[in-house]
Amino acid sequence: MAQHVAEQGLTRDELMALRNKRTGMTVFQVSWIMAFVCLIVVNWQIRSNAPSWPPAGVEPLSSILPTIVTLFLAASGWLVHNALQAINADQLGRFFSQWRLALVLGAAFVVVIAFEWITIPTSGMYSTVFRVMTAFHAIHALVIGLYMWLVDRRVRAGQVTSHDTWAVEAGTKLWYFVIVAWIMFYVVLYVL
Amino acid sequence: MAAVTAPTLPGAAIEQPKRLRVSDYLRWSVDHKIIGVQYMATALFFFIFGGALAMLIRWELLTPAIDLMADGQAYNSLFSIHGTVMIFLWIIPMMAGFANYLVPLMLGAKDMAFPWLNAFAFWLIPPAGIMMILGYFVGQTEAGWTSYPPLSTLFSGDGQTLWALSLHLLGVSSILGAINFIVTIRNMRPAGMGYFQMPLFVWAMLATSIIIVMATPFLAGALTLLILDRVAGTAFFNPAQGGDVLLWQNIFWFYSHPAVYIMVLPAFGIISELLSVHSRKPVFGYRAIALSSMAIALVGFTVWAHHMFTSLTPELRIPFMITSMIIAVPTGIKVFSWLGTIWGGKIHFTSAMLFALGFLSMFVIGGISGVMLGSVPFDIHVHDTYFVVSHLHFVLFGGSVLAVYGAIYHWFPKITGRMLDERLGKIHFWITYPAFFLTFFPMHLAGMLGMPRRVAQYAPEFQTLNVFISIAAFVLGISTFILLYNMVHSLFYGEKAGANPWRALTLEWATSSPPPSTNFIGDPVPFPNPYGYGTEAAYNYVESQNKKYGTVNPSDYEPVEKIGPLSAGTE
Repeated sequence: MAQHVAEQGLTRDELMALRNKRTGMTVFQVSWIMAFVCLIVVNWQIRSNAPSWPPAGVEPLSSILPTIVTLFLAASGWLVHNALQAINADQLGRFFSQWRLALVLGAAFVVVIAFEWITIPTSGMYSTVFRVMTAFHAIHALVIGLYMWLVDRRVRAGQVTSHDTWAVEAGTKLWYFVIVAWIMFYVVLYVL
Repeated sequence: MAAVTAPTLPGAAIEQPKRLRVSDYLRWSVDHKIIGVQYMATALFFFIFGGALAMLIRWELLTPAIDLMADGQAYNSLFSIHGTVMIFLWIIPMMAGFANYLVPLMLGAKDMAFPWLNAFAFWLIPPAGIMMILGYFVGQTEAGWTSYPPLSTLFSGDGQTLWALSLHLLGVSSILGAINFIVTIRNMRPAGMGYFQMPLFVWAMLATSIIIVMATPFLAGALTLLILDRVAGTAFFNPAQGGDVLLWQNIFWFYSHPAVYIMVLPAFGIISELLSVHSRKPVFGYRAIALSSMAIALVGFTVWAHHMFTSLTPELRIPFMITSMIIAVPTGIKVFSWLGTIWGGKIHFTSAMLFALGFLSMFVIGGISGVMLGSVPFDIHVHDTYFVVSHLHFVLFGGSVLAVYGAIYHWFPKITGRMLDERLGKIHFWITYPAFFLTFFPMHLAGMLGMPRRVAQYAPEFQTLNVFISIAAFVLGISTFILLYNMVHSLFYGEKAGANPWRALTLEWATSSPPPSTNFIGDPVPFPNPYGYGTEAAYNYVESQNKKYGTVNPSDYEPVEKIGPLSAGTE
């Protein structure tokens, strides 16, 4: 695999640094997903106290648009995976097309969720829990999306090549995190 | 066994470590040793601050009426900040300080995996601490370190918001530090050091870090909601608007019970090192001690609701009682392994060893009272009384703080190159140990007689007991200054330590004291068993170090290995 070829050229210290970054990223993902689990627990406990959920008289959330953008988000995960493979093979054209399309899909996701956030009628804890969960996730999507945009600029400036693709790999893994966290929230907010 | 010698580079001169100045510790540095000292110095500052608040608490409790404090709210702020500072700004950062200094050295590494991140994690602590103290002076931070709503949401002032923001920063710092430790331990062990050749302190930090990365994000979630309730008008913890006060208790304790192990597991690691080195015996049950740390980390996530026995649905009490009893088992394994370690050893009653033995005796009392509190009927009887205060101080002072004292006496020579004054150390121990016991043991009695915790006014029949406790507490507070004086005095006038004053086998001693900026000259070779005392090979290993670094060891620390192998209980 091209990535392994690139790693063969690294010194012992560089290889150790790369290994550390990869392990660190995994530990961070496993750790920070617990903050999302915490909000799921909050959702579960609040709704278990209510006689019905949504509470009587409150319109349930429509899941059509969110489902569509959830599919967008899942597709963006596949695209960033392809983009990482492309940069590892020095295929810059393919990288840009996949990476940027993923960014566009991610932006569409954020816009739709922001629309849902604004338009949900204020209805006590039902809307509060929704708003806090989606806002918490959106902050992550925005910050990581911004990082991915900066990575795009660095690749364009020739600062990322197949010899060191950690910046792209990190962006990819962080975007996977955004996707997994959202799928958990989607199930809790729209399915259960 | 094949002879293993400390690494030597033919013709290589030993680098003379640059003498660091105080100003070096006040600046941004990515050297794990400087960061470790920064953590420790900062934590000691907050220890003094938190200790001063404790003295005020005991002063107030000399009489049954409110006389020192302006009112009950001021007293609430006092114990709230005392508890929070001692936990989040003293014990946790102090352990992080030792770990920062020692883990890379024990692994033979040049630094932590992410040096910049390491420095960043530390530099979050001073602003968080300032925010916490500001919160105290702003006022009405009065919900205790547990910050239960509605007291922390509807009945506290702006100080409570600062408290929550401060804790948020400390949580982020903790997570970043823990990620660093896990990566360092997983990836940066030297050739020849598998997981089961790691020093037990490193095992303890691995278990601690796993707890931190899994539990602390829950605290972050809880604090975010608390802040939103306070400043953004949400009502997550207000039942009148659909919220739930028990929600806070669940998510807070899901973090905070494991946090107890964040505070005490590093202490377990310290004790494993100290007992073995100062009794010149291999650790008895190495694997049992190592794996029991992991067991504690795992089971620690299943016991949180024992803090809520009085508010918990009755049918859930028994399951949580059972898990709480189960977690005593791995701790018991450690205690018996430690006893096995010193049994038949040639015990050197150094100050470090005295504090380690002090830990062993006092922590067991805290553990037993913990099992008592884990029992539902007893817990309901003593809920929110001084029995709980006694238990937690036996665990956190009798456990963690005595271990920290022992660690200071043990590793001060490595960090500074100077020995602490042993005579002062023993005076420190022989005042601290009884004063600690006399302060906190009578609280069991006060609690069982029904004295509630967190009150400034109490029934007059408790006054004699409280006066006794307060006097002992004042002695305990004063005894701390013996250590502080010893540290400052020894830093300038202490006997030179040499590389390995305790003739220890773990890698932090296989370099000069203090170590050079790169930690080691060349790649260090670990001794196969970090606790393999009592063998010819161990003797030769230490002797080869001494040839390299020069022997300036205390003359009374005899190399017992030379006398003859011990009939040690080895693994």
